[in-house]
Amino acid sequence: MGNYIGKRMLHLVGILIALSFLTFLLMYLTPGDAATKKLNAQGIAVSQEVLDATRKAMGLDRPFLVQYGDWALGVLRGDLGDSYKDGQAVAAKLGKALGYTALLALGSLALSLLVSLPLSVLTALKKDTALDHIVRFFSFVANSLPNFLISVLLMYFLCVKARLLPVVADDSLRGLLLPALALSIPMTGRFLRQFRAEVLEQLSQSYVSGAVSRGVKRRYILWRNVLHNACIPILTVVGLQIGTLFGGSVVIETIFRWPGLGKMAMDAITNRDYPVIQGFVLFTSVVYVLVNLLTDIAYHWVDPRVRPE
Amino acid sequence: MKMRNLIALLLAAVMLLALAACGGAKTDTPKTDAPKADAPKTDAPAAEPKILKLAESFAYASLDAHKDWNGWYTSIYGLTETLFKVGDDLSVQPLLAEKAETDDTGRTWTITLNPKAAFSDGKPLTAEMVVRNLQRIGEVNERFADVKGYEIKAVDAHTLTITTPEVFPTLLTDKLTNAAFGIMDLDSADLDHAPVCTGPFAVKSFEPEGTVEMARNAAYWNGEVQLDGVIFYYMNDDESKLMAMQSGEIDGYSSVTAAAKQIYSAEPDRYVLTVIPATRLQFYVLNENRLSAAVRKAINLTVDNKAIADFLGGTVSPAVGPFGASAPYGKVTKPAVDIAGAKAAIESDGWKLNAAGYYEKDGKELTVNICYYFARSLDSIALLMQEQLKAVGVKAELTGVEDADSTYRVTGDYDIALYCMIADQAGDPYYCINALFRQSSDWALGGFHSDECEKLIDALASETDTARRAALANQIVQMAIDDNAFGFVGLFNKTTVAVPGVKNIGENSPFDFYAVNAATDK
Repeated sequence: MGNYIGKRMLHLVGILIALSFLTFLLMYLTPGDAATKKLNAQGIAVSQEVLDATRKAMGLDRPFLVQYGDWALGVLRGDLGDSYKDGQAVAAKLGKALGYTALLALGSLALSLLVSLPLSVLTALKKDTALDHIVRFFSFVANSLPNFLISVLLMYFLCVKARLLPVVADDSLRGLLLPALALSIPMTGRFLRQFRAEVLEQLSQSYVSGAVSRGVKRRYILWRNVLHNACIPILTVVGLQIGTLFGGSVVIETIFRWPGLGKMAMDAITNRDYPVIQGFVLFTSVVYVLVNLLTDIAYHWVDPRVRPE
Repeated sequence: MKMRNLIALLLAAVMLLALAACGGAKTDTPKTDAPKADAPKTDAPAAEPKILKLAESFAYASLDAHKDWNGWYTSIYGLTETLFKVGDDLSVQPLLAEKAETDDTGRTWTITLNPKAAFSDGKPLTAEMVVRNLQRIGEVNERFADVKGYEIKAVDAHTLTITTPEVFPTLLTDKLTNAAFGIMDLDSADLDHAPVCTGPFAVKSFEPEGTVEMARNAAYWNGEVQLDGVIFYYMNDDESKLMAMQSGEIDGYSSVTAAAKQIYSAEPDRYVLTVIPATRLQFYVLNENRLSAAVRKAINLTVDNKAIADFLGGTVSPAVGPFGASAPYGKVTKPAVDIAGAKAAIESDGWKLNAAGYYEKDGKELTVNICYYFARSLDSIALLMQEQLKAVGVKAELTGVEDADSTYRVTGDYDIALYCMIADQAGDPYYCINALFRQSSDWALGGFHSDECEKLIDALASETDTARRAALANQIVQMAIDDNAFGFVGLFNKTTVAVPGVKNIGENSPFDFYAVNAATDK
């Protein structure tokens, strides 16, 4: 296991170098730079002299490889640099946004799992009954609705009409509820369909009918065998979802004023804030690789026959 | 059984993590409360305090007015004040300064401060502090690096002089009314989060790029402040603002969209809408290097900016020139829409209508490329122009880019280039004229050049008489209009919504950087 983890960490270093270089190159090639964005932010044109002086002060007039090398050396020293937009340390910005994104990601994941796990097992057991049809219909609808529409509908009905929750939310649990709900609805739809399919797949296996014919209790078969075997694909789905959630959700974060990683990254791209974009890419790459690694380790934990390769 | 325990454990872990993260995020929030020593003395009534709640589309990470564009927001928050301000009628009015006079050379200005002006902690405003502020702006703000070349001196406690390297008649409009020139007590403990300033409100709490809470400055030097406080919520999603208004969580905001305006208009007893012409200009440049004079004339005779303004739901007013018609430097004219005249102009250039309904010459259809970017309704304008041009037989192809400032604006690779900018920064036409019509400007790539125009711009740069400046500006803009070098489409309206009873939230100012003041009430 130790070797396996070491190998994956080595891969991670290669991934980080390649991704950071590619991101830097793409941002460099994209029209516009941080100086133009900063100076023209409010629609007032500035002179070419001011623009050139600002570019020079920000180091944007240097060749691409010098800029990238400078940034990479900083990272090796543990310094992700400062934001071009507001001068704040990138690490501090990431840390602040990560707190919010983690809260939103885990809150929405908890909501989704609480609903989708029991319902998917129930609908698999009650296949083709009215309950199954209703849940499948709603999971299909939830999965099809775009995030912005769900957000606006929730806001309209829960905040404007029912006055149950505030539109202007803060970072309290009450403030978290609406964005977490908006993020969890399509996720629940996806989980329901995938978890149900996995449970059904296991229920159709010959070992289940064999156990039933041997008189083993259905409840025992379900908990001891079916769910155990369905667990690995479910872990894969959840693991991938956690990686995505930690990248932040621009739409939800913008609508609900939630200052997470998605909104931070979007603002950084708009402002060509290279240090923040690079920091975000590094962070999300690490999270994605680590979540996948943990998922692989979890496979082994759930089923010791599965050995990480 | 083991599996059930496992699932229960997983769920519990997820929930615990969520709750733990929840606690963590709270401590991570760097919301700064202003130091108690700097907090204004409030004599708020024991009854319910009058707190106004407004939404703002932008928020910055610092309250240091001198850096970046922060000054716009410290001005909106009622925190900072400038030496002079621009009135709703675009006139320059005294604020922290009583008057400004130039000497015979036109280079040295003597500024006299209002002796009553003071910071929210009671410390009087001195000329020496103003000098330090002006010098610092030149140091920390790239847009005002030229201020470093000024000689700025305190003469006595309430008088200072500013000597510029050249005659600079727009010192007041370009600099001293500019929100970035907001005056702060530079000895404040924390300029980024709780600067002590002279405005009617002082910082109560500040969340970088988030909510800002302001408290009444009970010691305000320029009259009694009506409100006990103001809360500014950072909300850049239009739907969220609309619903926050509908749920009664905010009292008002500016930059109302056409769709939201329609909703508010339907309930006049619940919402008060104020619409005034503002200074953000939508225009296009006609590339003289690619389009003949006849085709440019035809395009300008075809584009119907009244129809465009109607389509945009009252968010813009049709423009004649770059400035509002009520300004003394907005007195220009342009021909009315004339489809027959447009066709005649094209035909005079040797073009003939083909079977497809487009003009054609030497086997080539008359095709123009309209470049635009996705902001300020320019994409809608490009589409509408395409339709209008098609009706006269001109084929328009659309090229949308994300960033005009680094593409067509600086390469000149366009037939028609749409753009949006603030044309009137503070009640003077020079900035816009210099940016658009100078031979050395970015837009000169469109080919507009006239020696006479250049001379007039030079004259405008040093003219100190306001009436003469307006006359020069009108002459210059008219030349550009007559040359069909530009098309001025619309001036954005400033649309503000508020609940009944709310007043003086900057709804009558054409500028975005004014909002609350001492007279703001609810």
